[in-house]
Amino acid sequence: MYSIETDNLTKKYKNKTVVDNLNLKIKDGELFALLGTNGAGKTTTIKMLTGLVKPTKGKIKILNLNLENNSQKIKTMLNISPQETAIAPNLTVKENLEFFAGVYQIKDRNEKIEKLVKDFKLEKVIDEKAKKLSGGWQRRLSIALALINGPKILFLDEPTLGLDVIARKELWHIIEKLKGKITIILTTHYMEEAEALSDRIGIMKNGRVIVTGTAKSLMKQAKASTFEDAFVKTVTGEEL
Amino acid sequence: MNRTLAFSKRNFKELIRDPIALIFEIVLPLVILFIFHQINIPGETYKLENFTPGIIVFGLSFITLFTATLVAKDRSSSLLFRLGASPMKSADYIVGYTLPLLLIVILQNILFFTVAGLMGLSFSINTVLAGLAALAISLFFIILGILLGTLVSEKATGGIGSIVVQLVCFTSGMYFSHEMVGEVFAKICEILPFESCLTVVRSILNGSNEITARDIVILTSYTIIVTLLALLCFKRKREQ
Repeated sequence: MYSIETDNLTKKYKNKTVVDNLNLKIKDGELFALLGTNGAGKTTTIKMLTGLVKPTKGKIKILNLNLENNSQKIKTMLNISPQETAIAPNLTVKENLEFFAGVYQIKDRNEKIEKLVKDFKLEKVIDEKAKKLSGGWQRRLSIALALINGPKILFLDEPTLGLDVIARKELWHIIEKLKGKITIILTTHYMEEAEALSDRIGIMKNGRVIVTGTAKSLMKQAKASTFEDAFVKTVTGEEL
Repeated sequence: MNRTLAFSKRNFKELIRDPIALIFEIVLPLVILFIFHQINIPGETYKLENFTPGIIVFGLSFITLFTATLVAKDRSSSLLFRLGASPMKSADYIVGYTLPLLLIVILQNILFFTVAGLMGLSFSINTVLAGLAALAISLFFIILGILLGTLVSEKATGGIGSIVVQLVCFTSGMYFSHEMVGEVFAKICEILPFESCLTVVRSILNGSNEITARDIVILTSYTIIVTLLALLCFKRKREQ
């Protein structure tokens, strides 16, 4: 069964086509990485898939439900960790978790918060204001917040952007632990991240997904020795 | 706890934990009230029963400034992007931003009237009614802040908010009557809502009959227009 299906999904802003007849099928429990250069249409695609932006044309099915008619129901079953950390800066870590538990009207909210604090090892920063946390801890909190409603689909938009290597590896470990349990759509500019974490990768260019496959199959297809080279060859059509 | 209340609670915490906002919203108007009373400037405008309502409307202009800053900050940090993927609706945001600011307006009024009372302003049922009128008028200032925060960047909110503060100072009549500065300026004062704001609060406080139908029409019209624009722009910006 597919968690996400799009049918000729298109978004135009005035005369500019940002997403162009996108046909995606992402399986339940799959970690799908959406790659592309800046302006390829990744963020607009995510905004449409999360119900934030209405498509100009095409259809979106999330968990077998048509997004257009069931957006409120669908929104309870997905969540996002945006590119910017998107946390409440003057609230403590615990207050941030309580805030989002309130937004999603979580019934067993104390238990849920306790579990997230434990899973993400947030105990030692629990009473610190979010704005005082380091980049790595803010990202960790950001992903914890995105799991507050126990989503079936999680969108991770550049989750390790700007982090040092240790913080990045720690987040990879967290993402790896989520693999298979929920469907994850990951966007990243780090090729090694996509290669290490994804089940399947889609490369976007000018609003279209030009290829999909595993990292290995894309390398084979591009006749490249590294995934980064495969990406460059796929996007530019030439070797560096 | 429903979504709107969860969002309101978060906004209240963000607002009261910002010392700069509290200084401008509460301390500065109180200092001005105290200083002008000490200077004992001759003329009706600066009598305590006329200047206190001016200070109340002046305080509301800072509510616009800091509401705009909060909303713009939430936009730039992607917090609104994250919340946009949740089941919250546009009206939840408007109410969620408005409720905590109404609490701050109540706090402002209590402090302004208390300090004015200590300086000699007599307390009566009219004081309570004037406070309630200021609370109703504050809706316009709060929603204007939401609108500005939706339209401009976080950096620009300071400048735009300062224009609102200056407009209140120069066109409300808190410092001088508009008849003193010529016909064109008087016309501008009549068209803008700030003079009507002051007239309503001052008239109720003093039990006079200054309020005209024009004041009510202007205040109601501005509040309705700003509310509709805020809802429309907020929805549009979210979908971009």
